[in-house]
Amino acid sequence: MAAPVSAPPPTGNRKAFRRTRVSAVERGASLTIVLLLGVIGIGIWWKGRHFDPNRFALRPDALKSTAADVKGKSGTVGATDAGPGETRASLKAQPAAAGESAGPGEESASAAAAPAGKGEPLEIKLDGLKPMGDTEFYNAENLFEKIDGRAPAYLNFNFQNLRCRSFSVAGAGSSYVDVYEYRFDTPVNAFGMFALERDPQGEPLGFAPDGYASGMGFFFRQGACYVQVMASDLNAKTIELAKAIATDRAKNLPASDTGLDGRRRLPVTGMDPASVQFVQENAQGQSFLKNVFQANYDFAGKKLPFFLMTTTPEAAAAAWKSYLDFAGQFGGKATALPDVNGAKIFMAQNFGSWKVIYQRDGEIGGVFDAADGDPARQFVEKYLEGQLK
Amino acid sequence: MKARTARRIAQVFFFTLFLFFVVITDLRYLKGYPASLFLELDPLVSFATAITTHTIYMGLLWSLLLILPTLLFGRIFCNWICPYGILHHFVGWLLGKRRAEERERIEANRYKKLYSLKYVILIAMIVAAICGSLQIGWLDPICLFHRSMTVAILPMLNLFFPSSIYVRQYFHVGAWIVGFLLLFLVGMNVVIPRFFCRVLCPLGAFLGTLAPVALWRIDRDPHKCVDCDLCLKSCEGASDPHTQLRKSECFVCFNCIEDCPEDAISFKFMPQLQREITAPVVPGRRAFLGTLLGLTFYAFGRASGASDRNYDKKVIRPPGSVEEKDFLDRCIKCDQCLRVCPTNVLQPALMESGLEGIWTPILNMKIGYCEVNCTLCGQVCPTGAIQRISIEEKTGTGPFVDEGPIRLGTAFFDHGRCLPWSMETPCVVCEEVCPVSPKAIYSREVTFTKRDGNLITLRQPYVDPALCIGCGICEHECPVTDEAAIRVTAVGETRSRDRRLLMDGGVTSAPRSLEGKQR
Amino acid sequence: MNPEPDQEASGKSDGGISRREFMIRAGATGALLAGAAAGGYALWQREHFVPGFQAEKGLQLPSYALAPDKLLPSLAIAHGPEHDKTIRAAIGALGGMGRFVKKGDVVMLKPNVAFDTPPPLAATTHPETLRAVAKLVLEAGAARVYIADNPINSPTGCFWKSGLKQVADDLGLDLMYPEANSFSPLELNGEVLRNWTFFHEPFKKATKVIGVAPCKDHNLCHASMTMKNWYGLLGGRRSQFHQYIHSIVSDFALMMKPTLVILDGMNVLMKNGPTGGRLSDVKQMNTVVAGTDMVAVDSYGYTHLMERDLAELTYIHKAHDRGLGNKNWKDLIYKEVQA
Repeated sequence: MAAPVSAPPPTGNRKAFRRTRVSAVERGASLTIVLLLGVIGIGIWWKGRHFDPNRFALRPDALKSTAADVKGKSGTVGATDAGPGETRASLKAQPAAAGESAGPGEESASAAAAPAGKGEPLEIKLDGLKPMGDTEFYNAENLFEKIDGRAPAYLNFNFQNLRCRSFSVAGAGSSYVDVYEYRFDTPVNAFGMFALERDPQGEPLGFAPDGYASGMGFFFRQGACYVQVMASDLNAKTIELAKAIATDRAKNLPASDTGLDGRRRLPVTGMDPASVQFVQENAQGQSFLKNVFQANYDFAGKKLPFFLMTTTPEAAAAAWKSYLDFAGQFGGKATALPDVNGAKIFMAQNFGSWKVIYQRDGEIGGVFDAADGDPARQFVEKYLEGQLK
Repeated sequence: MKARTARRIAQVFFFTLFLFFVVITDLRYLKGYPASLFLELDPLVSFATAITTHTIYMGLLWSLLLILPTLLFGRIFCNWICPYGILHHFVGWLLGKRRAEERERIEANRYKKLYSLKYVILIAMIVAAICGSLQIGWLDPICLFHRSMTVAILPMLNLFFPSSIYVRQYFHVGAWIVGFLLLFLVGMNVVIPRFFCRVLCPLGAFLGTLAPVALWRIDRDPHKCVDCDLCLKSCEGASDPHTQLRKSECFVCFNCIEDCPEDAISFKFMPQLQREITAPVVPGRRAFLGTLLGLTFYAFGRASGASDRNYDKKVIRPPGSVEEKDFLDRCIKCDQCLRVCPTNVLQPALMESGLEGIWTPILNMKIGYCEVNCTLCGQVCPTGAIQRISIEEKTGTGPFVDEGPIRLGTAFFDHGRCLPWSMETPCVVCEEVCPVSPKAIYSREVTFTKRDGNLITLRQPYVDPALCIGCGICEHECPVTDEAAIRVTAVGETRSRDRRLLMDGGVTSAPRSLEGKQR
Repeated sequence: MNPEPDQEASGKSDGGISRREFMIRAGATGALLAGAAAGGYALWQREHFVPGFQAEKGLQLPSYALAPDKLLPSLAIAHGPEHDKTIRAAIGALGGMGRFVKKGDVVMLKPNVAFDTPPPLAATTHPETLRAVAKLVLEAGAARVYIADNPINSPTGCFWKSGLKQVADDLGLDLMYPEANSFSPLELNGEVLRNWTFFHEPFKKATKVIGVAPCKDHNLCHASMTMKNWYGLLGGRRSQFHQYIHSIVSDFALMMKPTLVILDGMNVLMKNGPTGGRLSDVKQMNTVVAGTDMVAVDSYGYTHLMERDLAELTYIHKAHDRGLGNKNWKDLIYKEVQA
């Protein structure tokens, strides 16, 4: 068809042209495409619902690789108030969670040289008392600077730190009270040290079950702390203030008897309560006797020291056997006695003193260092039969 | 249903889908959605990264799905699927010469020689890729659109409607540049319809090189045609349907079919070759200039040394990133990682990593920090610039405990600014928030006399470089907020052998035995 | 010369404007003038001020605590291996959740979600703990339950990875993220804390507040338990707190008087806190402590769950000395049960 080569361009806006003839192929293809879009939409919706949660959070079993403890990376170096991190020496009641390596408190980093000045000052607010100087702090390294020859015994009981301060009495310039708070790692160790220095003639204290008043001082153990409050003179006012200080400390220090249940096993009949002691290791010079509670008893007019150690049945049996072997040496005479109430007993005399040692299940104990053998044996047999509570 | 109607439905569908993906790229909503799907479908991304890395990374294989319809029907992607193209189409329709004289509209849609510029740009980018620098991200439409949404548009929406997009407002360095660039490109539709698509788009150019072999195309029946040129009135591609159709320019929008009053235009299977201009028209001189641009971009950029010894300490890359030179081979600057990052720590670099690294992600610890149990950036990265690592690989737990964690850098103290070191004031927030166990920041207790004569005991912090993973939360939480007293820099990052700090990666002082493998 | 239009006849004044037109035009000008003057005067700031130094006014939180009860225990300690049973036992020992939450109450549960760590690492409130508490609250008839915290890490990451978002979704609880508009200035007569920005949104409608805290070591203040838990309600640059951390933690006890606090000692973060990061930092103590006195609860937690010396925990002593609670938990009426 011959059309003009260049038609005149249309001027103005004509009404929009609408195409009406749509082929079936076009209709079909368009519809198919739209349906395809629907399928894509559904596909994306489905993909959205199914996802691996490990994309967004750590796989729970991956944490297993963190179950082992890490050594040599302390949190704070030189922390003396047992701050958090691996310099802590917390109450070692149970082993660390899972893993095989050291629990807290066994890090050597805490032994790194550190200035001893650390911790909250010892503040005691009582009428008539004024601090005399700053609080002093000592740790295991420099304890001897304060208490000289007494220090090794403290260190044996895992002494942690000492906080001490002096307070002057208002109105009596030359009178003052010294307050010493020795902190140990466990209450049982604090008890051990306390008991070692205990004055057998001390008067019991009403505000602290493990405590006594002796001379110009008040001494007690509370929690893992061994407290000594000492007046400078015997003036009534000074002593009264010292007692008030001791009462205040007993009120504010946390009480805890963790690890001390062993001493409750000691029989009470005839016991001199002021003689209860805790020996950490090498009790009676024997390497197998550790964490031993002992006390002196008055039995049939005789003074008998009695001790008790709890451990596993196997260890107790082995310890008893070792003790028996030891008793037979150096010219000693050891006799095995008949079993009493499920316990094995032997009796021996070494270097002039008698011992009667029993072992029953996980408990090993007995009378040691007695002048006469018979009362010792009777005491032990009575205890084993349950007649001594 | 008319083909144009199907096209319109497809446009609504894909644009909505794109916006959907942009919005759900957030930890709260992401679930299993393929948030980077458009980037994975983008054939230029897979083609260019195949050149630079000799691999096609994971989801990029999907782009084959798009090559197929291009080879059959031509550049349908540009008008049916490309969300940026759809945006331009819409803006052009909204603001353009809709009500203007027919004559103006027809003239606006004639092919111009300017439109060969996109091929020159493509050549420059491919040449740069061959040399070893991936720069398609500057102008690839999907990358550009994702980047503009992430860096500028979404923060803008959140400023006007607080907490609608983010829990806390997000900031991005240089957002104004990206935002105004978007505004400019979209606004240019008023001057030239589909300005970006016709003049600049390298993806369009790439598809334009594939389109010539398409089996179907728009065909004009010269016997029915009266030369009224009305087919140009709404022609999107400026492909000259009124004479010989330029196959490489046609967007298959079907507007010409609807506009022709003589019903002379149809979509035909293998029509005659003499009624078309098959290949794109790129003058040889311009092609040469494009090649030169690509070569020099790579060479001059690389010669500036920013990715080698003179690396900037502040170029801290996201966890799971490949080594820097490989990173520049892979990063398409789509900024998806910025979008998904829960702490806003990822920022578009400007010149810190050199010319090649513009808009690539770096960490800015003043704004955020890298959250330890998070690998979202790697989940959404389409090209593997940030590998799709698992959280176990990142933290060095589970089966990866021997290799240890991925480190982004190392923290260093600035004692003069640190409160306990220089200002007699207790602090150690850095130690508190350090997320690794044992902590990479430890402290030493010291007692000294203060200025007022009293004694003070406080803790002074130290960094343990064997444990530090460079996450930056210490820098972020430091109360000296203008320039923190502890700052993370890139040295010590594990992704690069060259940039390690400790000789053995910290094995001897790290919490594992010497028998363990090294990363 | 053109004759003037008849002025008399048309009633116009000199210059050719009618009276009506004059009124309208002069009126418009006058109105604009008056408006500008009035507006200017209303907005006028007569005095200057020194930026950053003005006295800040803020909201004051009401007390959510119940009246003290002479008969029922105010502290309960429960031991048991399962979260749900142990918590129920602890709350039951206090008299049941019905003592604290009545039908129709809007309850705000404040967990500690400070970090994005997984639950076994015990750095955040355990999801099973929160689930048990939320269930009890819902069973007691609460109309709405909010869960909110302002974490140190990113809010979305923390709630997700700690498992608490899942609990909120499962039970239909209202999870509030700390959005920009959710904060208001708080006024407090604290030792150090006077004015600070506070996460107010969840408290706007709350009638009861329950703190659900894990028991954690803390590198600076030794422990983070129920008192330190309230740190998560403050915004702004909290990293300044560490300069006076003990005073500020004791100020929290002044700031917040909750209905109930629960200390989750099922798994305790014993070291490397507050972030933790290794399973070896965590110890299973299988204990839950609940009470109305956060100082008492924390003092039990520090001594019995973390097994440390209370003398170190300065903020407890400060709070006690300020009368904000009793650190001698044994002085309270308490009950210890086995779940």
